[in-house]
Amino acid sequence: MSQDIQDIHGTMKVLAVERILARVLRLGSIAAGVMLAIGIGTMLLAGSPFAVRLITAGLIILLLTPVLRVMVATLVFLRKRDWLFALFCLVVLCALAAGVKLGMVG
Amino acid sequence: MITTTLVLFPIAIVAGVMGAILGLGGGIIIVPALTLLFGVPMRTAVAASTVSIIATSTGAAVAYLNDKLTNIRVAMWLEMGTASGATTGALVAGYLNQRFLFILFGALLGYSGYNMLKSRGKDRARMVVPDRVSRRLLLAGSYHDQALGRQVDYQVNHSVPGLIIMYFSGIAAGLLGIGAGIFKVPAMDQVMGMPFKASTATSNFMIGVTAASGAVVYFARGDVQPLVAGPVVLGVLVGALIGARLMVRLKGTTVRRLFIPLILYTAVMMIYRGVVHR
Repeated sequence: MSQDIQDIHGTMKVLAVERILARVLRLGSIAAGVMLAIGIGTMLLAGSPFAVRLITAGLIILLLTPVLRVMVATLVFLRKRDWLFALFCLVVLCALAAGVKLGMVG
Repeated sequence: MITTTLVLFPIAIVAGVMGAILGLGGGIIIVPALTLLFGVPMRTAVAASTVSIIATSTGAAVAYLNDKLTNIRVAMWLEMGTASGATTGALVAGYLNQRFLFILFGALLGYSGYNMLKSRGKDRARMVVPDRVSRRLLLAGSYHDQALGRQVDYQVNHSVPGLIIMYFSGIAAGLLGIGAGIFKVPAMDQVMGMPFKASTATSNFMIGVTAASGAVVYFARGDVQPLVAGPVVLGVLVGALIGARLMVRLKGTTVRRLFIPLILYTAVMMIYRGVVHR
């Protein structure tokens, strides 16, 4: 019985995290998609250097979205006092930072 | 330039649709298309493909999260393995025999493709008994399956072996530049006992994070060419949105049937690359 309650509790926690992360990812993909579309459109029509800058900005926004997603997940788990999963998120962030550092050197 | 963009765009859309449905990065399509069809240098092609992995992941994830197909807790647990594996891969690159690794990982893929082939058509509710870690971390999931028209509840087991496999799949991604999702889907489906659709959706969610550190590095090195990557990434993003909407309506057995030829093809290509060293 207590196991059931715990499971229901767990499922509810997961749903809330899902909604928040979905919002982060939607925002990132819409922002990136709009900038890429306008950038490519102006490049095809006018070929201005501004277009290239716009495309680059769109790519950078897209690139940062998954990292932002892990950061937001860390905060959500911390607020829910789900220390273990907050720790998991931090491990992922550290591994990403280490990956970037190693890649820059290599 | 205009024609290149116009031809590139539909190819990228197809890659995005496939990647979203099957939980893959779509590099299998994009890298050969860019290098063989358009004569783009390998580095530029791989960089564009890495950024487009993030596009597939981000574009499809919204739909999967809304349908609860993505298992976030499983994803966060396994991401520790993929992210640290990718870092290890970058660290040990150059010390290991790439040819041997291509053959080894190719053989592993061939084996899991063979297992999938054997169990094709079966979408039985598997009796999965959760292990201790799975119970402690509340990894069990539940989603509404639009194709079956009912709620699917499932348990997860072999959580620790799953994490270890993800670590090695991360190494393969960091070292060989392949295997964004092709190792992750069978690990969740066959080892951890998750439903196939939940496996591809969760793989999709994870590949964006694994690709992120690589993409930052390519960006800093100047390998990401906006005029090549821009149209590819936009196409993949659009394709991923379409693919995700298709996938939630497909049966798990159908998705698995689509996955099998791709995993077998990749296995053969990897073993070929290992044997015939380029």
